[in-house]
Amino acid sequence: MSIAGKKIGRYLFALFLIFSMNFIIPRAMPGDPLTNLLGEDVALTDSTVELLRSEMGLDKPWSEQYIDYWWGILHLDLGYSYHLHSAVSTILLSRIKWTLMLSLPSVVLGALLGTFMGALAGWKRRSARRKMEASSFLMIYCTPPFFLSLMCLYIFSFRLGLFPLKGFYSTGSPIDIIHHLLLPVLVMTLFSSSRNYMIMRGSVLQEKCNLYAAFARAKGLYDEEILFRHIFKNALLPIITMLALDFGFIFSGALFIEIVFSMDGMGNLIYDALMSRDYPVLQGSFLIITVMVVSANLLADILYGHLDPRVSRY
Amino acid sequence: MNCRHIKNRLLPTNTSLCSLVLFLSFLLMALLAPVIAPYDPYIRFEPYRSPSLEHLLGTNDLGNDIFSELIYSSRVSLIVGFGAALMATIIGTVIGLFAGYFKGTPDEILMGITDIFLMIPQIPLIIILAAFLMPSFYLIALIMGSLWWTSTARVVRSKALQIRETSFVEAARSLGFSDMHIIFSDILPNIVHVITPKFLMAIASAMIAESSISFLGLGDPTAKSWGMMINFAFIRGGFINDYWWWYLPPGICITLFVLSVVLISYAFEESEEAALRIE
Amino acid sequence: MSSSKKRPILGVDELSVSFQTSLGEVLAADEVSFRLHEDETLALVGETGCGKSVVASSILQLLPKNAEVHGQVVFEGRDILRSDEREMSHIRGSKIAVIFQNPSMSLNPIIRVGEQVAEPLQVHRGIPRHRSVQMALDHLNRMGLRGDTAIMYPFQFSGGMNQRVMIATSMILSPQIIIADEPTKGLDDALARDVVSEVMKIRDSSGAALLLITHDLQMARDVSDRVAVMYCGQIVEMGSRDDIFENPQHPYTAALLNCLPEKGFQPIPGSSPSMIHSPDGCKFHPRCQKRFERCRLRPPMEVLAGTKGASERQVRCWLR
Repeated sequence: MSIAGKKIGRYLFALFLIFSMNFIIPRAMPGDPLTNLLGEDVALTDSTVELLRSEMGLDKPWSEQYIDYWWGILHLDLGYSYHLHSAVSTILLSRIKWTLMLSLPSVVLGALLGTFMGALAGWKRRSARRKMEASSFLMIYCTPPFFLSLMCLYIFSFRLGLFPLKGFYSTGSPIDIIHHLLLPVLVMTLFSSSRNYMIMRGSVLQEKCNLYAAFARAKGLYDEEILFRHIFKNALLPIITMLALDFGFIFSGALFIEIVFSMDGMGNLIYDALMSRDYPVLQGSFLIITVMVVSANLLADILYGHLDPRVSRY
Repeated sequence: MNCRHIKNRLLPTNTSLCSLVLFLSFLLMALLAPVIAPYDPYIRFEPYRSPSLEHLLGTNDLGNDIFSELIYSSRVSLIVGFGAALMATIIGTVIGLFAGYFKGTPDEILMGITDIFLMIPQIPLIIILAAFLMPSFYLIALIMGSLWWTSTARVVRSKALQIRETSFVEAARSLGFSDMHIIFSDILPNIVHVITPKFLMAIASAMIAESSISFLGLGDPTAKSWGMMINFAFIRGGFINDYWWWYLPPGICITLFVLSVVLISYAFEESEEAALRIE
Repeated sequence: MSSSKKRPILGVDELSVSFQTSLGEVLAADEVSFRLHEDETLALVGETGCGKSVVASSILQLLPKNAEVHGQVVFEGRDILRSDEREMSHIRGSKIAVIFQNPSMSLNPIIRVGEQVAEPLQVHRGIPRHRSVQMALDHLNRMGLRGDTAIMYPFQFSGGMNQRVMIATSMILSPQIIIADEPTKGLDDALARDVVSEVMKIRDSSGAALLLITHDLQMARDVSDRVAVMYCGQIVEMGSRDDIFENPQHPYTAALLNCLPEKGFQPIPGSSPSMIHSPDGCKFHPRCQKRFERCRLRPPMEVLAGTKGASERQVRCWLR
């Protein structure tokens, strides 16, 4: 219990530091902090500028601003977008469900596919099919996610016309949404499974050299029985945390996939915010993503504790 | 009985040779860009030309020769990749060495910092910093380098923990050599083989990240890189109009270069395992 | 011990095993031949690195893939060195079982002990999980382990307990042959004695033949019927336990016996030769105090006069 407490404490501390960093960035960057906090191209008269400056507390000392910042965050107030004329938290809430719709199934499918195929690849590679598999996963692993999406969009939607070119939906019916989601989810699954594949393959390569694998064989287990009865779980345990850490990278990949497929999730929100230099939205998105990554790591730790008797027994 | 004897390479040995050749030819391409490229990448010809003998990959919206642009762009892409990786490797190595050598409280503090850095969503943070700073590509490399050292630090630390217990380090300590001397002249040379693959993987990550950021239009606008080329092709109609010769070659270049680096890194790790076998 | 009437159930003929390494070819076993008879215990003794474990692993084809194996291992009328992996998996654990050294590493760290002991029942007999675990529990009880052992994990046990668990796992299908590969290596004295008595119990109760691989001469003397002495990949002497221990014929056997405590721990002069460039002729001759010119030629394995039968006496030395 104390170990879990320590872990949670460390995660909270990490969150605290990253959130504080988010406070410092706009104030430490070159230029007027007001512009950095409001976003550029926001046309304002001088009097409103001064009004806003005092309203946002920028005339107060940093320490007070810092306390106000945390006060806001604890009330889920992530600032106001003067571009979109709406509270950042409201905007994020409306966009994030689309991103989750894309990334959750892909992350789950990618984890299953990647670890399963990666385990087989680490176990042995005799057949030509395995070699083909390994090479294709390696190619996907080495391709930037946005380029992978561009290629898939080009081949399957543009050339073959199998999928719609853009967006999450056109009519809004479930089948329509699924049709729109299919290709991006596929790309994202390939992307995340290629990363899991590489990690799992390496882990199985190491794990299968352990004596218990040899003893399993001596007991009469045949070939892949040894892999799935004995090695798989042992190989998965040490990499659960690695897979969780990789979640941040995979989630970033989702943003790029959204941009290429013109889907109205967080990715395009960030892209539009970049175009208009809408800093509050950018910062709010960063915070949300941080919270998600940290939660994924916490989840991985809890999962690890449940799966590994050596941890849960102590 | 050790089953590491079983050959289970990702790809056969001649593949690592090929990847080395590929890697070196990209390096040469960047170094000798003015010699190889048929034109200056900023000269303007007639825009939107299709590939021909005159312009191997046609011209872009401004009329620049895309083939020359591709060759010159390798410079920025490689500088960002290598620069970020070098910086990450130096930070990671120093932190890992100190944590592993001194153990105890310094170790806990340094590894605590590492854990926090591991938690930062790096690409979103780079996007934000790039949006605020509108940086030059040197600065982009610097930012990435200061975020990417975590895995190197972890590996170096665990190796340093092992090596500090060996007899030759004990001997050096009893002879009264300073800690700094032991760390940098006794321990460091013995972990170069674990740092090298990490360095190569950092190049790969940095190149993918650089191209992704450039694709968002956050790259250095004064410098051409492969990611910037794809960005221009994407936002200026190259994609919609099916000018594959515009956006495909830079993407392929990134993928191939990353592939060569990753393969060399794997070859390193495998030869390392082979060396362990012989003891 | 009248093992002369017993039928052989395992025949190893001219078994040679070599490994290709970057430093050269390692000849780990060099034309090793012996028979294992029903209901007998054969101890294969020798110093660490003499290739005895390689012999044990090659019988069940448990060697790494870069091993090159020649010769024959005849079991149930077939050369099982020619059997494929599928056929071998039917033999392993059900007809021929292995007990490894280092029990704590040989058991899967994250699977309950009961499940691990029950696994041969599931794999070979197709007994459903729940019932097989119940049977494993009974089996563990018979071996003197408490009832709650089955739900524990290997890391919660001592090395000695894990060794018993591993022995239980190997025994659960009553195999005809048990190969114990250095079961006492790395254990302290008290534990080693425990394991020895465990091994003796198995031998007496199951009627299985036991091939005991060990560097521990005292253990070999305590439990075996016959002894084969290995040096540098070759069997140099083989015979009944009493013959070997009371009347060693090969200079190496004699030297090895001199290492026993009651003989005053006299070490063998010189060091074990490299398995890559092993000496020509008799492999022991550089260290042998009785060597003469002929020892540069390879001595054959010869049967000593008057010892035909199961306990025949064989020596590989020009002096005989």
